[in-house]
Amino acid sequence: MAELVVGDLTVEVDEDGFIQEPEKWNELVAKALAETEGVEEMTEEHWKLVYYLREYYQKFGIAPMIRKLCKETGFPLKKVYELFPSGPAKGACKVAGLAKPTGCV
Amino acid sequence: MANRKIKPKDMSKNCGQLVQLDVKNFLPLPPPYDSYDLEPKFKQLTDEQKAKYESDLDGVIAVKLPRPQTDEEKRELVEKFLSGLKKLFDKESNWTFIQPLYLTLEYCAKCQTCSSACPIFLESGEQEIYRPTFRSDIMRRLYNKYVKTGGRFWTKLTGDDIDATWEMIARLMELSYRCTICRRCAQTCPIGADNGLITRELRKIFSMEMGINIDPLHKLGSVQQLETGSSTGMTAIAFKDNIEFMEEEVEERTGMKFNWPMDVEGADILLIHNAGEFLAWPENPEAFAIIFEKAGISYTLSSEICGYDSVNYGVWYDDVQFAKVALLHAQAAKKLGVKKIVLGECGHAHKALTVIADRVVTGDLQIPRESSLTLLREIVMKDMIKLDPSRNDDICVTLHDPCNLVRLMGVVQPQRDIIKKICKNFREMTPHGVENYCCGGGSGFAITQDANFPDWRNTLSCRRKMRQILDTFQDVIGPEQKKYVCAPCSNCKGAIRDMLDAYGAFEKCNILYGGLVELIVNAMVDVPEGFLEWEWH
Repeated sequence: MAELVVGDLTVEVDEDGFIQEPEKWNELVAKALAETEGVEEMTEEHWKLVYYLREYYQKFGIAPMIRKLCKETGFPLKKVYELFPSGPAKGACKVAGLAKPTGCV
Repeated sequence: MANRKIKPKDMSKNCGQLVQLDVKNFLPLPPPYDSYDLEPKFKQLTDEQKAKYESDLDGVIAVKLPRPQTDEEKRELVEKFLSGLKKLFDKESNWTFIQPLYLTLEYCAKCQTCSSACPIFLESGEQEIYRPTFRSDIMRRLYNKYVKTGGRFWTKLTGDDIDATWEMIARLMELSYRCTICRRCAQTCPIGADNGLITRELRKIFSMEMGINIDPLHKLGSVQQLETGSSTGMTAIAFKDNIEFMEEEVEERTGMKFNWPMDVEGADILLIHNAGEFLAWPENPEAFAIIFEKAGISYTLSSEICGYDSVNYGVWYDDVQFAKVALLHAQAAKKLGVKKIVLGECGHAHKALTVIADRVVTGDLQIPRESSLTLLREIVMKDMIKLDPSRNDDICVTLHDPCNLVRLMGVVQPQRDIIKKICKNFREMTPHGVENYCCGGGSGFAITQDANFPDWRNTLSCRRKMRQILDTFQDVIGPEQKKYVCAPCSNCKGAIRDMLDAYGAFEKCNILYGGLVELIVNAMVDVPEGFLEWEWH
């Protein structure tokens, strides 16, 4: 298992870079994850997306439908890809500390 | 070329990686991909990955099994494998598939008719390890030596001797994830030997006896489904939230405001979708809801555990996981008192619940199960919805046949009757129907995303499908013509999406993919034009 080192904190990540210990997530971890995704600076828009994902995940235990994410943040899918080049699932969800999507998706 | 000379015995050798794959040995694709320079990148494993995981078959990892560290560990694993192998031939342990398994092992005449039917073997440039009989020949030799009475003695005389070393078992484990279980080999076999079943039964030994399986199918698949209700991790609460969102979306897109029937007792039909549709392709369940609403079908969705996810990955690797999920599907239907279960556009769910589950659901759980395609045919052909087929005129359409629908069940004509009625520019792939080729994502490959497995899938197991699609559209291959691959199966859609994406075929050739119901709704008079959004997703 690979590790992500953020200051004094060490977080386990899987081969695709998704964190395995979601309780250790904080904004610094998010910034470090964002770097692995080629996102140099976490802007207000990045955080808006990340916090929307986290809130939904905490409520429902799963990532939201991509269409719902777009609608509720007001970001069209294209914009989501601009913010997180690997896209909503592999990019934004990873930075938000969510689990990798599963099932036939 | 050396790769072609590999013999079953070589699998036992402690010699590192047995086969080195090179895309340049794969069969060349038609234009505009008729140069190996245009192939997607095929990642080689890092030294770290190779050191950590069993990958000595072909340098590809599906299972991700950490290498055992000691000889003792290896010995135990081999013993477990052999004990599992014995159980396959014990009718108390393997009441599900023992007969066809015997038939395949005892009667194969090695005529190789199956080899010329296997898309992976052919597209690989005839890599010996991917030959359908290579896998079964190893299993046969192991069976002859380690299961049959006096086997160790007789196999020495016949020359069939093979050693169950850990190297052999570890390679065989990966090899059981290099076949999509499309069963084209079984179909073409003059005596009905089923090499696809061999793959499946090998996976079964690894999962049921050794606890070795792949995460997307087991831990994150059927285990998660039994815990949360869905392989996506979607609980009933999340499911209902998603339905609410889709209801709103349908209203916004079509102006049609109606509630989707949920947990309606006494409805005629329980409709079960693959839950992946809600997350990745919501336009598909939305289209179903619109069609059923307008056609006045008495149906309901269920929010019972597993009642809203038709997935049953056990059908690919584990009898117990399979049976548990199948029972929950039947129980959800029984609770609502429906007359039958209708399955949405998901191939393996058809196989699992309509065919294989016949051995599992008994008594009052034996509720009739049907494909949605026959019901949709009735709706379309009997004009239960108003259609304006000219709305699909600008799209060139071809149909991908999911293996489980056509080859396994013979559901071939309904989807064609529908599509011929609503798409003027429909053209068949060659071959199609019961002789179709797999999308390349069958048996769980579409959702296996670890290490370099997606590269293997996109460039090799999907290759025949890519070839068929390019051939079918060759005269209109340029981006000016919209082209649609209609694939009525979630798993096939996932595989075709990733394959088209890997080759950049949407940008380059304007090839999009999607389900069948979306095309129907796109032609519905009651729905504003443009239901089918021509955007990559």
